[in-house]
Amino acid sequence: MSTPPRKPAEAGRPLLEVSDVTLRFGGVSALTDVSFDVAHDELFAVIGPNGAGKTSIFNCLNGVYHPQAGRIRLDGVDIMGRRPAAIAAMGVARTFQNLGLFTNLDVVENLMLGRHHLMRTGYFAGAVWFGRARREEVAHRARCEEIVELLDLGPYRSRPVGLVPYGVQKRIELGRALAMEPRLLLLDEPVAGMNLEETEDMARYVLGARHELGVSMVLVEHDMHLVMDIADRVMVLDFGQVIATGTPAEVQNDPAVIRAYLGQAS
Amino acid sequence: MARPGTLLVTRPEQRLRLLPTNWYKAFVILLAVVWLTVPINLSDAWLDVLARCGVAAIGAIGLNLLTGYTGQISLAHAFFIAIGAYTAAWLGVRSDLPFLLWLPATFVVGALVGALFGPFALRVRGDYLAILSIGLLYIGQHIFVNWTSFTGGRPGTSTGAPAAIGPLDFADLNLFDQAYSRRQGLFWLVWLVVAIVALLARNIVRTRPGRAMQAVRDRDVAAEVVGVSNARYTISAFALSSGLAAVAGGLYGVVALTVSPADFGGAPGLLLSVQYVAMIIIGGIGTIGGAVAGAVVVVAIPRVIEQISNSVAIPFVGPGEPISLFAFNNMIYGALVIVTLVFEPRGMVAGWERVKAYWRTWPLAD
Ligand SMILES: Nc1ncnc2c1ncn2[C@@H]1O[C@H](COP(=O)(O)OP(=O)(O)O)[C@@H](O)[C@H]1O
Ligand SMILES: [Mg+2]
Repeated sequence: MSTPPRKPAEAGRPLLEVSDVTLRFGGVSALTDVSFDVAHDELFAVIGPNGAGKTSIFNCLNGVYHPQAGRIRLDGVDIMGRRPAAIAAMGVARTFQNLGLFTNLDVVENLMLGRHHLMRTGYFAGAVWFGRARREEVAHRARCEEIVELLDLGPYRSRPVGLVPYGVQKRIELGRALAMEPRLLLLDEPVAGMNLEETEDMARYVLGARHELGVSMVLVEHDMHLVMDIADRVMVLDFGQVIATGTPAEVQNDPAVIRAYLGQAS
Repeated sequence: MARPGTLLVTRPEQRLRLLPTNWYKAFVILLAVVWLTVPINLSDAWLDVLARCGVAAIGAIGLNLLTGYTGQISLAHAFFIAIGAYTAAWLGVRSDLPFLLWLPATFVVGALVGALFGPFALRVRGDYLAILSIGLLYIGQHIFVNWTSFTGGRPGTSTGAPAAIGPLDFADLNLFDQAYSRRQGLFWLVWLVVAIVALLARNIVRTRPGRAMQAVRDRDVAAEVVGVSNARYTISAFALSSGLAAVAGGLYGVVALTVSPADFGGAPGLLLSVQYVAMIIIGGIGTIGGAVAGAVVVVAIPRVIEQISNSVAIPFVGPGEPISLFAFNNMIYGALVIVTLVFEPRGMVAGWERVKAYWRTWPLAD
C-alpha cells in the first residue's frame, strides 16, 4: 500500500504538540510524561497492549479528561482545560473504541451532527424553517451525501444507526468524524472486532478519506499489522509510558518494543 | 396511480419537506376540516373536554421536547403550567394585555424559570433528576399558597384572560351574522395554538437544535465530542419545555376561568405531572404527533368513562362502590402505560406508522 510522503520537519510547526502529559486516576498513573508531535498531513499511529493508555490519550486530546500535568497545543494554541465541544469546534474529530453513535437517528442525521459546529441555526431560525435553517439544511445535507457516497453508506440510510451491523456502525462513525471537516482526526481502534475483510475495507476507507480530504490523523490500534502498513510514524505505549517512537520499520526492530509488546502480543 | 415518490419517501431531498408525501398532505387537510367542523357538531360539554385536550397537547409537546428528545426526566411540569396560569392572570386579567401579548409573555416567563432549573439537570441525572424535580412542586405549593398578591393564595385567582386576535374575539365569536358560544370559540383558538406550536416544534426537532437535543439524549459524551454542548442544550430544552408548559397553563386558565394551588401544587401537581408523562409514553416518546395523540387520550378518558358509567354500571366502580371513578381513571392510565410499554414501546404513533406501512405496500405486504 502506498502512503503519501511525509511532510519534512522544516515545513513549519507541527499540527499537534503533546508535551509531558501526565494523567492520574487516584493513585493510578494512566499516562506518565507522554510527549509526541503530529505533523500536518501525517498519519501517526499509537499502539500498545490493552490498558496501555491509548484511549486515555485521546480523552486528554479532546478534553474529556483533564491531565494533571503537561501541555497540549493544536496549531500553537493551548487546548488543555477546554471543554470537548470547544475543542471539536477547533477542528478535532474523534471516533470511539466502543462506538459513540446517536443510535436512534439515521445515517445522515448522525453525519449532520458532525457538522453541528459548522452551522448556525438556533431555536428561533429552526422553528421558522424558511430562511437560514432551510438554507443550511440543504447545503450541509449535500456535503453529508458526499460522505455517504464516499463510504458506501447508501444502503443503510433509512434505518436508525443502532440497527445496522457493527462494522457499518464503525464506518458511520468515521463518516461523522469526516463530516466535521476536521484538521485532526483521532481514530480509536477503527477495526476492533472486525474480520480480515472488514479490516481491509476500513483501511481502504481511512486511506481514501485521507487522500480525498487531506486530514491529519492519529490512529490508535491494538493490533500492529494494519498500523505497520499505513502509518507514517508509530508511537509505542506501555503502562502509560512511551517506549519508542519512529517509522514502522524502526519501531518493529526496537528491542524495547519487541520485549514489551511483540513478545506478549503474539 | 400517483407518480413514484408522491406516496412514498424515495428520494433524499424529500426528507427536507415538512410533508414529504401526499399522504401527509391529505392528512393535514383532513385535520383542518375536522378542526373547522367539530365545533358546529359537538355539544359545549364535549367542546370543553376537547379544549382541555388541546391545552394538554401543548404541554405534552413541551414535555416531549425535554424528555423524549433530550432525555431529561422531569416531574415538575405542573409547576411550570402553574406559572403560566398565574402569569396569564397577572398580565391578561389584572393588566388587561391583549392575547397576542400575554400568551407569548407566559412562554417567556416559563422559559426563564425553566432555564434557572436547567443547571440542576447537569449535576443530577435520570431518576435522581425526576426526584429533584418533585421538590420543585412542593416549593411551588408553598409559593402559590403564600404569594397571595400574585396567585390569590389558597382560594385561587380568576384567569379568564382576553382571547381576541385582532377583531376575532374567540371568547365571544360573531362571524357572518352568526354568534358562536364561548366553548366553540375557545376550541378553535386552543387548537389553532396547538397547530402552531406543533409546527414550530416539528421544525425545531428536524433542524440543528433538535438534532443536538437528540444527540445529548442518545450519547452525551459523544455529543460533546462532536461539538454539541450538553450544558447549552440541556438548559435550553428545559427552557423550551417550561415555556410551552406555561403557554398551556395560560390557555388552561382561559378555559377553566379560575385556578388555585389545588390544581397544580404539591400532590395534585405530582399527579398532573405524571399524567403528562403518561401522555408522551402512550402517544409516543420523541414524536410531536404522539404528544398530541397521547394528550387527547389521557384527558378525554375520564370524561368518556364518566359518560359510560352514567348509562352503564361498571362493576365495583362509582359512588358508593369500592373503587371511585377517580381511582378507576388512574388505573386506566396505569394500564394504558403498561400496555404501551409492553406491546408498542414507541407509542400510538409507531403503531400507526406500522398500519400505514402495511397499507402502503399492500398487496405486497404479507
Ligand atoms: N475513567 C477512568 N477511571 C479510572 N481509570 C481509568 C479511567 N480511564 C482509564 N483508566 C485506566 O487507565 C489505564 C489506561 O486505559 P486506556 O486508556 O483505556 O487503555 P487502552 O486504550 O490503551 O486500552 C487503564 O489502567 C485504565 O484502567
Ligand atoms: Mg482503548
